[in-house]
Order: sequence, then structure tokens, then C-alpha cells
Amino acid sequence: MKPESELERIFPDNQGNSGTPGIRIGTVVGGSLSKGLVVKLDAGELPGSMIEQLAVGRYVVVQGLTERRFFCIVTDVALEHTNPYVESNPPETTDSIMAEVYRSTLAYGKANVAPMLVLERDSEEPKPVKTIPAHFSVVVQANEEDVEQVFGKADGDHFYIGNPIEMDQVPINVNLDRFIERSSGVFGKSGTGKSFITRTLLSGIVKSGKASCLIFDMHNDYGWAIKNEHGREYKGLQQLFDANRVNVITLDPETSQARGNRHDGALQIPYDAIEPEDIAMLAGVLTLSEVQVNALYFLRRRLGRKWLRKLLSNDENDQSELDEFVQQGDLIKGTLGAIQRKFEIFRRMGFLQTNVSEDLVETLFQKLNSGISIVLEFGIYGDSLPAYMFVANYLTRRIHHRYVATKNKAFGNQGDEPNPLMIVIEEAHKFLDPEISQHTIFGTIARELRKYNVTLLVVDQRPSGIDDEVMSQIGTRVTCLLDNESDIRAVFSGVSGASALREVLARLDTQQQALIMGHAVPMPVVIRTRDYGPELYEEINQQTFQLQSDAETVAQAKDDLFG
Amino acid sequence: MSDVNSEEKTNSSIPIGRMLRSDTTGFTFGCLLPEPEVPLFGDFVKAPAQQGLTEIIGIIHNIVIEDDLFVRQLIAAPELPEAYIQDQRKNRQIPIEVSVLSVGYSSENNIIQGLPPQPPVTLDYIKRCSLSDVIDFTNVQDYLALILNSKETPVEELIGAALQRASKARPIEDRELFLLQAGKELARLLSDDLSKLNSILRRIQVNI
Repeated sequence: MKPESELERIFPDNQGNSGTPGIRIGTVVGGSLSKGLVVKLDAGELPGSMIEQLAVGRYVVVQGLTERRFFCIVTDVALEHTNPYVESNPPETTDSIMAEVYRSTLAYGKANVAPMLVLERDSEEPKPVKTIPAHFSVVVQANEEDVEQVFGKADGDHFYIGNPIEMDQVPINVNLDRFIERSSGVFGKSGTGKSFITRTLLSGIVKSGKASCLIFDMHNDYGWAIKNEHGREYKGLQQLFDANRVNVITLDPETSQARGNRHDGALQIPYDAIEPEDIAMLAGVLTLSEVQVNALYFLRRRLGRKWLRKLLSNDENDQSELDEFVQQGDLIKGTLGAIQRKFEIFRRMGFLQTNVSEDLVETLFQKLNSGISIVLEFGIYGDSLPAYMFVANYLTRRIHHRYVATKNKAFGNQGDEPNPLMIVIEEAHKFLDPEISQHTIFGTIARELRKYNVTLLVVDQRPSGIDDEVMSQIGTRVTCLLDNESDIRAVFSGVSGASALREVLARLDTQQQALIMGHAVPMPVVIRTRDYGPELYEEINQQTFQLQSDAETVAQAKDDLFG
Repeated sequence: MSDVNSEEKTNSSIPIGRMLRSDTTGFTFGCLLPEPEVPLFGDFVKAPAQQGLTEIIGIIHNIVIEDDLFVRQLIAAPELPEAYIQDQRKNRQIPIEVSVLSVGYSSENNIIQGLPPQPPVTLDYIKRCSLSDVIDFTNVQDYLALILNSKETPVEELIGAALQRASKARPIEDRELFLLQAGKELARLLSDDLSKLNSILRRIQVNI
């Protein structure tokens, strides 16, 4: 290497990328790839003030000696000193000169930053870090161009979800292809904005047409308008998209009508279609013992399709048929009585009917497969966890079954593959509890990734209740504020190098802030989520209009071609 | 600014003494009756070396006025006339000895803060540094390390006095910044001896 080129290499003219380099905040003085870098903060213009300008979750860029640029996230900040005497004999606060001298030299700020991505020399695309910058590399605040370079620009594949903290002009975009490619999760304590961020994400997915969504809408949050705690009303998915994109099916037409919600159909489930497997998952909620669950399979085998109806019937003939099993010693009277008592709850589920004219599962599958997203509103049944779990399990098992069949038929023929489906469930820890997740359809979907074009979007406030194995398969995690230690640990399980972000997560604002990490973003990012309001409605309208005009153009072209 | 200018007027480059003895770390010069303003503890002085190739810059850290035979006799005399006293002071048998710590030198218009390559030789004239010399020399604070490392000087007092001279050589509006920078340099050097640092900083603050 020539001397001058080596000199250039060590002291490049332009330390930053094409734009103006960010504000210098300090130098790397230690650290490791696994534990993150230690940065000694500069004293700053107002000595000692640098640390107050550096919040956890902020982005910084480390300019390596070899022109590599390391994108890092601040995970912790601390006050340090060169001599313990400073602690026992601090300068008087009134003594400004002495204090300034101390703050400039003996007392300093320290930041821990986690390196996430590295931009190699002459490369446009950042890659995961495999090494760390050299000692005394300069650390600067990431500027807008840096963030844009990492997260890409909003386009058909990337959906604008929010802005980094203190960078209101810089959009953070989620890669939707990657978001739906694996199961994803939205976590956070109640009242931290889970529903709003989920609705924003869903509107992005529906807008892009990359997947259909089947939303089990427990609290009527997604289909029609919702009011926040201040009484402000926000549009639901059905108001944002036309009937060719989003349908609302309700389990409780009366409540939906009373609320003034438009719905595209009511869900009715025939008793005779229910299988013991649909109910076995409720064992925990209904406190069914293993013996009682096994008895259900026995009853199904002996009584045929009408087993549940007969079990709940007051008809004497049906009751005597059941008594026969007791007399023959096939069933213990106590077990039968317990099952019947616990199954009383099904009598209160108005959507369970003896005769149902339409096979709604097939209708739903056809809609989902043709790209229409379904919001299933639970109405009053949203308050009943057994009803929610039963319906979610019932429908998911059957629709998943149809997807598996269609996918297997289409094996090798991409054109006939079913349209990707994302199933949205709330209170996910009830479905994915370690004790039952091995046996439920949701555990299966989470584990099999995108094998059959079906993934989950779990919305939950207790991620620690979700099976570790399932949690490790969650590709993208959108996490609002969590303060329970076990929940925080659960959110980070299976994410390499993310443990440093615990402090970041525990210090999110209570609303409109989220940490996004995983498959759909190149590096973890703390965002202020975008406002769910007129600007988003407008963006979606434009896109819908664009799709319509595209369809009109195709129709026109067909007319021109074939007359 | 006014006091700087007036000080500049009194601050000529006339010799204030002649070299008595020297070594690499410092030198001692002799002078007769001291003026009220010359020489002072903490003053910056310069002495030629290497036959004029370099000019050593030092800071006065000790002034010794020794007695002699005549003084001893006179001291016992009752009712000593004033004329005798003045004569004894002006026509001293033994010169006043002024010890200087070498902290740098200038060579071909470059100022180097460090020990000179060669000490000044005997009987060379010693001059007081002009205000601009002091400003130029103290723009960089590396000389503070030399003072801190010297064994035979009252370090804390000397740094306080030297910084006071250097500060007063500057316009009023520059003095605080200068002393702050010096304070920061001292804090770096004395990070393991904060009681000494605090002692010096307190002396500096008096001048701000």
C-alpha cells in the first residue's frame, strides 16, 4: 500500500457518509461483541451535559479506523470518575469553576452501546456485526441519513410505522414481506397502545395485499371505530378499506347493530361440527381433568356427530342414552355430571346453533384465500375467555387444515398456493401456555413457520406465559412498555445480543413508544409510533385508489384486447 | 486592557541580573537591590544558551538574600544612620540569588516546553520575559507538568503565582478561559492527587 493511501485510510477526508457527520459524543474505550462497547463521553460544550442528551434507545454511529461504520444503539448510561475521592469530596455546586474543571476531566459520562450493524467500505447495505471497532474510534450521533440507510425508504414492501426518538422527520419502515414471513408478536402492558400499533400494522399489511388477516377481535378493537380514553374516535379497518379488502363477521349481531357497526355476516357454528379437539384446548379454562377430556373422545366415538348436542340436551332419550354408559361402566357418573355442569357455558354461546345453513368455514377460507381480510368481532362474547378460545381454536383448526390441504395439492405449482394468511389472536398466552401449546393448533402454526403460508400475530400483555419454544419462533417482536422482569426476559428469549436492550425496554414511555426487533427490521429500534389518524387514512386511501385504478387499467386493457 | 498596557511599559527587556550557576533543570542568577516589581516569585525570565542559538525560559521559584560580614557588624550597631543602611543595600558584597526553574526554551522562533538541551553559562544576562513572550509561551500548558515534577520548589504556590502572571498578561476577557484551560490540564495531571489539585485550583480562582 502506498504511504499516501494508507494515510488516507487512517484519516479519511470524509469521516461520515455522503451527508454531514453527526455530532461527536465520545470515543470507544472498551467492550466486546457480546457485551457491547464502552464509550467515554466527551465533556461537551457545556461540560458534563453530554450524558443528559443521550437517552437509552438512541442510535449512534462508530467510525471505525478502517472506514467501517458501526450502527449501534445506546443501552445504558452511567456517571464515572477517575478518582474515588471525587465521590467523597465533590466540588461545591456554587463553585462553578472547580465544578467545571472536575466535569471536564475527573468526572465523565460513560455509555454502553450495542453494535448491531456494520456498513463495510464501498457497501450500501449494512450487515450484522461480526467484529467491533478499534480502541478510541470516534462515536457520533446517528443522523437522518444513517437511519434511512439502515431502514430503507417506504415503498410497497416497507411500511412506515413510526419515528426514532428525537428524529421526528425520519421514518422507520418495517419490511412487510419479512413481517408476515414468520409469526410476529405485539407485547406490552395494558394501556400502552398495543391495539393502536397492531391496527397500524394490520392496515399496512392489508394495504400491501401481501397477506390476508384473520383477526379474532376480542374487544371489538379492529373492525369498526374505536374511541380512546379521551373519547377521540378512530377508524377501524372496515372504514379504511372496502368490502373487497376487509370483511367484518360478528358473533353477536345484536351488539354490532346497537353499536352501529356494519358487518358482512354473522358467524354461526353448528353443534354437530364440534369435535372434542375443539374443546380439549379449553381444559384449563373450563378446569376439565384429563379423565374428563378423555371422556369427551369416548362420547364422540359412541354418540357420533351429535355428541355435544346430546350432552347438553334436556331430552329424556338423550339422557337415558348417556346413563347407559354409566350403567355399563364406560363412564363414571361423577365425570359425566362434571362435564355436563362445565359445559353449561356452551348453552350461553348464542352462536352455537343446531342447524346452520352455510358452511362458514369454507366461506371464510375462500375469502381469505382471495385476499380478503376478516375481522371476527366477538361482541359480548369478548368478555368470555372460553368463548373466545373456543371460536379461535375451532376456526383456526379448520382453516389451517384447508391451507395444509391446498398447499399440499399445490406442491410444486406456485400459482395454486393459498394466499398467505396471518392469524391475529389476543390474550395469546392462554393459547400458547407451555402446558397446552404442544397440542394446540396455535403452537403448531407458530412452530411450523411459513410452511403452509399461515403465520400468527400474537397480541399479548403477559409474554412470560407463552411457551418458550413458541416464543423463540416469533420472528418480529413489537414491544411496548413492559415492567415485569419475567415478561421482559420472555420478550428477549431467542433474540441474540438483545439482552443489552432490557434497560431500553423498561424505560419506554407508557404510550406510543415501542421497541421493534427481529426479522422485519435490520436492527432493534425504539420508535414513537406514528399517529393513527387522518394522515394514515389518507395514505391508505391513496393506495386503495391506486390499486383500483390499476384494476381499471387491466380491465380496460382486456376490453381493448378481446373486445 | 489599561493595566496590561501600563505593565507592558514597565516591562522592558533590560537585564535584571547575571548568571551565577546553572544545570539542565534550572539556573540561579544574581542581582543587586531588588526593584519593587523585579524580580518576583512566579515571574517568567529568559536566559541565552548555546551561544545565542536558544533562549531558555524559566520561572522564578526562590529569591535568597544572604547576609555578609558588613551586615553582621552593622546589625549590632545602635542607632544606625539611614545613609548607612541604604549604602549597605545598594553596594552589597554578596548578590541576591534568584533561583529559576527551566520550563522551556525557544529555538528558531519555535517554543518548546521541556528541558533545554544546554543550560545557560555564567555571567550571561538574564532578562524578564515581555508580556507577549509570556502569552506565547503559556498558550500551551505542558510546562505545568515540569513544575509539578520539580522536587525543590513549592509546587502549589509556584503554579498559582505563574498562572497569575500569565493570566494578567492577557486581556481581561481572555483570563477566565485561560485559567479554566489551565485548571483542566492540572486536573488531568493531578487526577490521583485531588487534594493538591484543589489547593491549586483555589489559588487560581482568586485571580478570576
